[in-house]
Amino acid sequence: MAELTYREAVAEAIAQEMRRDEDVVFLGEDIGAAGGVFKATVGLFKEFGPVRVRDTPISEQAILGAAMGSAMTGLKPIAEIMFSDFLAVCWDIVANEIAKARYMTGGQMSMPLVIRTANGGGSRFGAQHSQSVENWAMMVPGLKVVAPSSPADVKGLLAAAIRDPDPVMFFEQKSLYPIKGFVPDGELVDVLGTAKVLRDGGDVTIVALAAMVPRAVKAAEELSAQHGIEATVVDVRSLVPLDTQTILREVSKTGRLVTVEENPRLCGWGAEIASIVADEIFWDLDGPIMRITTPHIPLPAADELEDATMPSAERIVREIVENID
Amino acid sequence: MDVIMPQLGETVSEGTVSVWHKTIGDAVSTKERLFDVSSDKVEMEVPAPAEGTLLEIRVGAGVTVPVGEVVAIIVREGEVIEVGAGLSEAAEEAAPKAAAAPVREVSVKSANRDANGNPLSPAVRRLVAENSLDPVAIAGSGLNGRLKKKDVLAHLNSGAAVRSALKPAPLDFAGEDTEVIPFNNLRKLTAEHMVRSKATSPHVLQAVEADFARVARARSGVSAAWKKREGFSLTYLPFIAKALCEAVREFPHVNAAIDDENLVVFRRVNLAIAVDLDFDGLVAPVIKDADQMSLQELARAIRDGSERARTNQLKPEDFTGGTYTISNSGVFGTMITAPIINQPQVAILSTDAITKKPVVIETEDGDTIGIRPVGVLAQSFDHRAIDGAYSAAFLNRVRDIIQTKDWAAVLA
Repeated sequence: MAELTYREAVAEAIAQEMRRDEDVVFLGEDIGAAGGVFKATVGLFKEFGPVRVRDTPISEQAILGAAMGSAMTGLKPIAEIMFSDFLAVCWDIVANEIAKARYMTGGQMSMPLVIRTANGGGSRFGAQHSQSVENWAMMVPGLKVVAPSSPADVKGLLAAAIRDPDPVMFFEQKSLYPIKGFVPDGELVDVLGTAKVLRDGGDVTIVALAAMVPRAVKAAEELSAQHGIEATVVDVRSLVPLDTQTILREVSKTGRLVTVEENPRLCGWGAEIASIVADEIFWDLDGPIMRITTPHIPLPAADELEDATMPSAERIVREIVENID
Repeated sequence: MDVIMPQLGETVSEGTVSVWHKTIGDAVSTKERLFDVSSDKVEMEVPAPAEGTLLEIRVGAGVTVPVGEVVAIIVREGEVIEVGAGLSEAAEEAAPKAAAAPVREVSVKSANRDANGNPLSPAVRRLVAENSLDPVAIAGSGLNGRLKKKDVLAHLNSGAAVRSALKPAPLDFAGEDTEVIPFNNLRKLTAEHMVRSKATSPHVLQAVEADFARVARARSGVSAAWKKREGFSLTYLPFIAKALCEAVREFPHVNAAIDDENLVVFRRVNLAIAVDLDFDGLVAPVIKDADQMSLQELARAIRDGSERARTNQLKPEDFTGGTYTISNSGVFGTMITAPIINQPQVAILSTDAITKKPVVIETEDGDTIGIRPVGVLAQSFDHRAIDGAYSAAFLNRVRDIIQTKDWAAVLA
């Protein structure tokens, strides 16, 4: 078992799949010779060469158009959109074409592609390069949406996404790129649509995603040590498909649900989970559902302001202590 | 304005709301019952303190709170209620409607609130329904005493729930062949007390037969004059009470209570005398310091207690402080009754019919048979507190006093 960074796990997963399957190709801006602006794809260009690892012009629509065309004609492309904010210019091709191809061809055509993108705030990039937009993708039928929180999950879930016969949006949280974690040796393929229970507690169930997961775990330790509140922490990992079974089971046990979301509050993914919980296990709830989110504002670039807007471990602790009993 | 838990008597510090006669939004009046309060064995009807509309009920039926605690809020006609002035959401919602039109707009089901008035969470509601629990009876550990799921689970795992689960399922007796009479509050209290007493105290019954000849002679000597002077008949009961008070001096452990592993012996003798309310319940008003009274005073006190009991004039303090109880079924000709101890006392005496019987009388010239008024004195005692010999010796002493005292001199 090796200790890898989150960014190294990205390259490892891509390399694992490119070695296994010659149809897997990789394209994006500065991903090749430069190894990616976040250095998440270092070494791939050298190992697999310029035909399978292609640097593209600065045109997100061209990248995804090429990915879609190659997927339709038998390849399994991985396309990188450098900042998830830029998905906004790709929405026609993502939401109207890629997501709908299997349905509109009556299953004659599948779309085995992965769109990787650096998502989220915390890196002082300002309102147009820091958004947490996983909920944009979540609401489009036909897309799978994955957002890992650890190096091991990056490797296993990215490999699973590449092997999946349908389009997968793979959101890497850019502030997590430097974090380290142990990753099992050898081939690693995880299962999409499975949540993970990271911590077991009897008082409250915290459901978190991506960068909010380590903060939720830290908050849970603090709640236990300082306040005698024992929290279960569930890492959602995959918004579509959503592991409702695990989430509902874990919320039923404690009777309390707290979602911790980086996306702005309105229509954040936690609202959907709150709705499912209220529909399915209302009679197991022992108190109001609570959502801890970034407010409904453009993310500020100033250090202090950005830190103040995104949910922190301290804020999670404070809000739970104040509201949970 | 606030409606508070009234003072039920000098020695009473708390009261239980037994029933609300109005719901939120109802018009209330100083001439109408707003709610009933119970404490020990007294039940009191409380009218509204002013004319107006019931805005909020803070203390649900079955909940016990200290005297002076706010149990409800009413809004008088024309009174302006400040929204947010510490009222619950339901009350705030009801406030403008209540002030505008005193009609039933909002009904708060107390079943969906915990003992502190917090709404029950869905999980708690389900657990309570599935297990037929009373949420008000379970202590909450959340904010403001909110009843949480884990409180209910803890309750279910405790003995309390096991006991309630042992209750038989309700039988469906409804139909043309039956008349279902709901227990009133007194019936419920009596039922609870009787079950609790039998569950608490190992009862032992002992009885002696007493010859009331001397009492009867003394009584008949003054009977007419007494009736004329006092307005009521002089019965056997005051004589028995007097004899009992004297015997208690020698056997003080029958005049006691059990507190954990201690026998608490009372220095005062406060006699509770059971009174039947014309087949509609049983109360036992207490005669304080009965051992300090003359026979005449005892007779008057017994008469006074039963009169006031039958006319519902007893005060809360009339029910408290009893140290020994006498139950009298003799008026119906019973021979012997095994009474149930009036908790937390340790003994109770039943007096039954005194009837003329042939009795063997031992004299120096040999035995003869005479006709004597004879009655059985039966005492149930708590075997935790005392043993059979002590109880028997006490009963024997009571009989001796009844049979040998110069009652004519006492009455003179």
